[in-house]
Amino acid sequence: MSKDILVIGGGIAGIQASLDLAEMGFHVKLVERLPSIGGKMAQLDKTFPTNDCAI
Amino acid sequence: MLDVGRHPNIELMAYTEVEKVEGEAGDFRVTVRRKARYVDEDKCTGCGACAEKCPTIVPDAFNQGLGTRKAIYSWFAQGIPSTHTIDPDHCRQLNGKKCGICKKTCQADAINFEQEDRIIEVGVGAIIAATGYDVFDPSKIPEYRYREIPNVVTAIEFERLLSASGPTGGHLHRPSDLAVEAEIDALEKKARKSEKALKRFEEKYGESSSEFFEKYERGEYQDDDRKKWADKFKEHLGTVKPLETLKRKAEGFTVAKRLAFIQCVGSRDFRFYPFCSGYCCMHSVKEAIIAHEHEPETTSTIFGMDIRAVGKGFEEYKIRGGNQSGISYVRARVAEITEGENHNPIVTYEDTRERVVKSVEFDMVILATACAPGKEAPELARILGVELNEFGFFKTDRAQPLDTTRPGIFTCGCAHSPMDIPESVAQASGAAARAAQVLIESQMREAS
Repeated sequence: MSKDILVIGGGIAGIQASLDLAEMGFHVKLVERLPSIGGKMAQLDKTFPTNDCAI
Repeated sequence: MLDVGRHPNIELMAYTEVEKVEGEAGDFRVTVRRKARYVDEDKCTGCGACAEKCPTIVPDAFNQGLGTRKAIYSWFAQGIPSTHTIDPDHCRQLNGKKCGICKKTCQADAINFEQEDRIIEVGVGAIIAATGYDVFDPSKIPEYRYREIPNVVTAIEFERLLSASGPTGGHLHRPSDLAVEAEIDALEKKARKSEKALKRFEEKYGESSSEFFEKYERGEYQDDDRKKWADKFKEHLGTVKPLETLKRKAEGFTVAKRLAFIQCVGSRDFRFYPFCSGYCCMHSVKEAIIAHEHEPETTSTIFGMDIRAVGKGFEEYKIRGGNQSGISYVRARVAEITEGENHNPIVTYEDTRERVVKSVEFDMVILATACAPGKEAPELARILGVELNEFGFFKTDRAQPLDTTRPGIFTCGCAHSPMDIPESVAQASGAAARAAQVLIESQMREAS
């Protein structure tokens, strides 16, 4: 029985799921296809509706 | 992002692909391929000295090809992990040429051209597929002439142009102008090189190239060495003249101030995706507001069937954009984009309020492209043993919207369906809770 969880994709959804699980005490393996996590959101300049920086 | 890299409970495996999944909920065995970066993750400090010295320049995918990077690169400046990666398609050394400059430069001795892919098996109790989406390719819509007209761009390309960390440093230079500037750079480089060669001749014979050339034309010199000089001078003129013309042209360049945003490019369109992608109305409003913040003279026209500002604070944001950021909303489905003078796109549409067909010229057109299912989703679905829906997003049930068709595997974000960031975050927390539930249930079963 494994206490680990695999998250595939390091965009905003994968990052949030990983952090939530890690905070709950589970060990998370986060797999990302590209060299760094961040996904599409990292490419955005600002986010609506608050104009906060994406990164 | 930084928290993910630091959290003791998260093992981050970037540049990695899932190859095989066996077992069942509570006990999956997953095979992953950790692709060779040709850089040692434990040694690389992410200083970037290698990328500075690397001689190979390639288009930067993170900047949607609008900027350039080197063959050894970090995906983006603040990327986690900051480990650099060698692009095996473009690296000189990996393609059998003599180079290895990065290896000589790296003070941490992190470069390893011998590195190979590593296949690793991991045991997990549950899986969350958060693989996201792909931007719809608007060149499938021939009447919008994406790629044909340089100043017609997608929203994500525009996002990179607006970004302070993007290829233009946040200045809204038009792609057609950027192309001219790149040409000027290339010609200047060439001119500097030929100037150097001419200088050697000038020093050798003690006269200026132009004086010499006049005499040469009159037939005063016949020797081979001076013939070479004359040829070099002709070549130099062939570089300098077009360079001057381009420079004069570039003097007239300004940032883009008249913007058109076209909604529903690929979505709500029965030729492609009938669904509404949900977030595009809002990102067009946002991009128009940010462009106006950068340059207060900017005016934007958003062409859409309707502006769907559904979400907390969204309607107010839309109205504020109209009142304070020079945005006009036009109810129209754009029929065609053509190219006018100076690479200006001309938008032809029917104004449905006035019932007339209009053609208006802009500096730039931004296409609000659909949220298309990931191109690699079918392959991942096959590996995971789950089904996709009719469009190519992960299939889920209405009663259990985060469960895929295989127990123990969950999905969230745009891999599930088109959604914006707050929704993705909320769904991700939901998927995390569902995955935790599977583990806790199987732990309890084992204990009893």
